[in-house]
Amino acid sequence: MGAVDLIRAGEPTPSAWRFRLHELAWRDLVEALRTDPLPFCGLWCDGADMHALFILRDAPLAVTLVLEDGRYPALSPAREVSTLYERAAYDLYGAEAMWARDVRPLLDHEVWPCSTPLAGQPGVSEARTGLVAFQPSEKFVAATGPVDGWGPASGGVAPPWHVAFTQSGGVIGLAESQSGYAHRGLALRWRGSRAEEACRLSGRLVAGQSVAHQTALCMAVENACGHVVGEKASQARVALLEMERVLHHLYTLADMAERAQAPLVAAHCMMLRETMLEQISPVTGSRLLMDCCRPGGVHLPQAEQMGALCDSLARMGLAGHPALQELWDSFPGLAARLTGLGVTRTEDLARVGLEGPVARAAGQDCDTRRLLGLYDGLWRYTAGRQNGSAADRAQLLLDEIAESLTLLAKLAVHLGDAAPGRETLSLPDAEGMAMVEGPWGRVAYWVWLHQGRLAQVFCHNPAAAALLVFEEAIKGQPVEDLPLLACSLGVNAAALDG
Amino acid sequence: MRLIRAVLSVAFRQSMTTMKPAGRGGPLMLFHIETGGCGGCGMELRALASAPYDLGGAGFGLAGTPAGADMLLVSGPLTRMMAPVLQAAWEAMPDPKGIICLGDCALDGGVFGENYATLGGLERHVTIDLRLPGCPPTPADVLAGLASLLGGGVQESMPRSDTGGSL
Repeated sequence: MGAVDLIRAGEPTPSAWRFRLHELAWRDLVEALRTDPLPFCGLWCDGADMHALFILRDAPLAVTLVLEDGRYPALSPAREVSTLYERAAYDLYGAEAMWARDVRPLLDHEVWPCSTPLAGQPGVSEARTGLVAFQPSEKFVAATGPVDGWGPASGGVAPPWHVAFTQSGGVIGLAESQSGYAHRGLALRWRGSRAEEACRLSGRLVAGQSVAHQTALCMAVENACGHVVGEKASQARVALLEMERVLHHLYTLADMAERAQAPLVAAHCMMLRETMLEQISPVTGSRLLMDCCRPGGVHLPQAEQMGALCDSLARMGLAGHPALQELWDSFPGLAARLTGLGVTRTEDLARVGLEGPVARAAGQDCDTRRLLGLYDGLWRYTAGRQNGSAADRAQLLLDEIAESLTLLAKLAVHLGDAAPGRETLSLPDAEGMAMVEGPWGRVAYWVWLHQGRLAQVFCHNPAAAALLVFEEAIKGQPVEDLPLLACSLGVNAAALDG
Repeated sequence: MRLIRAVLSVAFRQSMTTMKPAGRGGPLMLFHIETGGCGGCGMELRALASAPYDLGGAGFGLAGTPAGADMLLVSGPLTRMMAPVLQAAWEAMPDPKGIICLGDCALDGGVFGENYATLGGLERHVTIDLRLPGCPPTPADVLAGLASLLGGGVQESMPRSDTGGSL
């Protein structure tokens, strides 16, 4: 039997897309996944059960297993990226993954006042003080060459993480990351929160992707409620998602250009972004588009201006885009610096399941917008360069900026001078799931509602897969290009640590 | 944008040398450390350090190491894992030195109050020399706050330099 058949042979649950398996069937599923390409989205624990989420033809397919004595068969032998989820589940709940590929701590480095803080009965911790030591894998220990490190405090503006790497002659041999520095305990904060509070938290999981996270959470809550928001509110959400994509891509391009010694290009990107923000912030109430989405709709101080804003941004952005493209192409040394840098291999992307612009720039056909009803009649993306290098990723971001601006022009007509708002939701005891295409790829939320609050929340974003791709792509690259490569691959500790 | 640049230039650049503490040359160097937040304050700091803003023209620079910094610029709630990193950065800074909190999270934890993973904000733990509230504060707000630091005299705003200071 294939993986899908094994899952669907399980015990049905109230959600048509989730099935409950017994341990032997779960083991069979792991074996089937070794050869079955079913896309894996994430794994998480709620204290009593383990849940795995897959994407079947752009629709969710989930499977649940009850923990036996706190243990379960690991998925990582079949899905490498599951390693990160398994390590997080152990650190937070004490759920032990049997036959796991990697059992090093991910989040808990024994500085917390307790261990397994989300378990029914948290454990005792040494609560160590002092700097956390890097814990290498056996493979890293066996690697040759001097070991160096980068982060967690590099003086930059990105959330903290640490990379240890071996090097020879200024070229990186093997690199491994240590995370947990940006862990704020989102899962615990979400637990028992009101929908508005949960939404506010999701908007602050990772800056620059706030709309994606808030929209996905809101849609998951609405799906659990069986509620469909109005047409204008849906269009306003799409407009916000595309504005965020434009702003995010400009910021990322500026960061890449700055690190590639092209300050003029960086300044041009940031100037264009800032000009857009001058128009966006009065209408949305936030420069980083935080708190614009709420369960039941949107929350905008000048909602009636959304149509005009979309029109203005599209005109301004599309008028300025050719100059930005020309500058990017012609700035001395920029193309040469990025071409061939951090080339992602198709097999690595497939192995860890990374989607979004990184995969699209390597020729993968993946975009959650394709399946969202929100985008019906609006979205059509034409693929560009597909060689998977930093130069290809930059060009794809430039292409996507133009694409999103075109989409905003269409939305301006639909929105007109309507003032999309929000409707009040009544929260039943139910579960819901939803996903959107964030700036770096698929963002998915899975929520359980109980007694009018969110009992459990699971968030999937591309950060875990991006980290694994980064660790592969950095091999053989110059040491000084490490931050540039991390930037171009969308590695973000805030999104990873949660 | 040109207007903003002109205002910044007139307001800060011309009088910068007179506002800087005696014995110091060059800009006031800030070492930014993100102690575990969403990164929003860092993004706004990045915007401030780019066109059309003029952080350098206003008399400030971003240091690559704490040893080259005058002030520690902290954003994000303080996670327990980052606390010793923050302490190490502080100890690596030469005297006189001070602490600036960028954003609500760095001040009081913001939406990320104390739990098993975070200690909340810094205001319960150390003396803060400059508070820049907001979630996140805008680049203009940050620049105005930093400018007040120079206008008030940097020397006066670094009260713990003779005590060695501790986080």
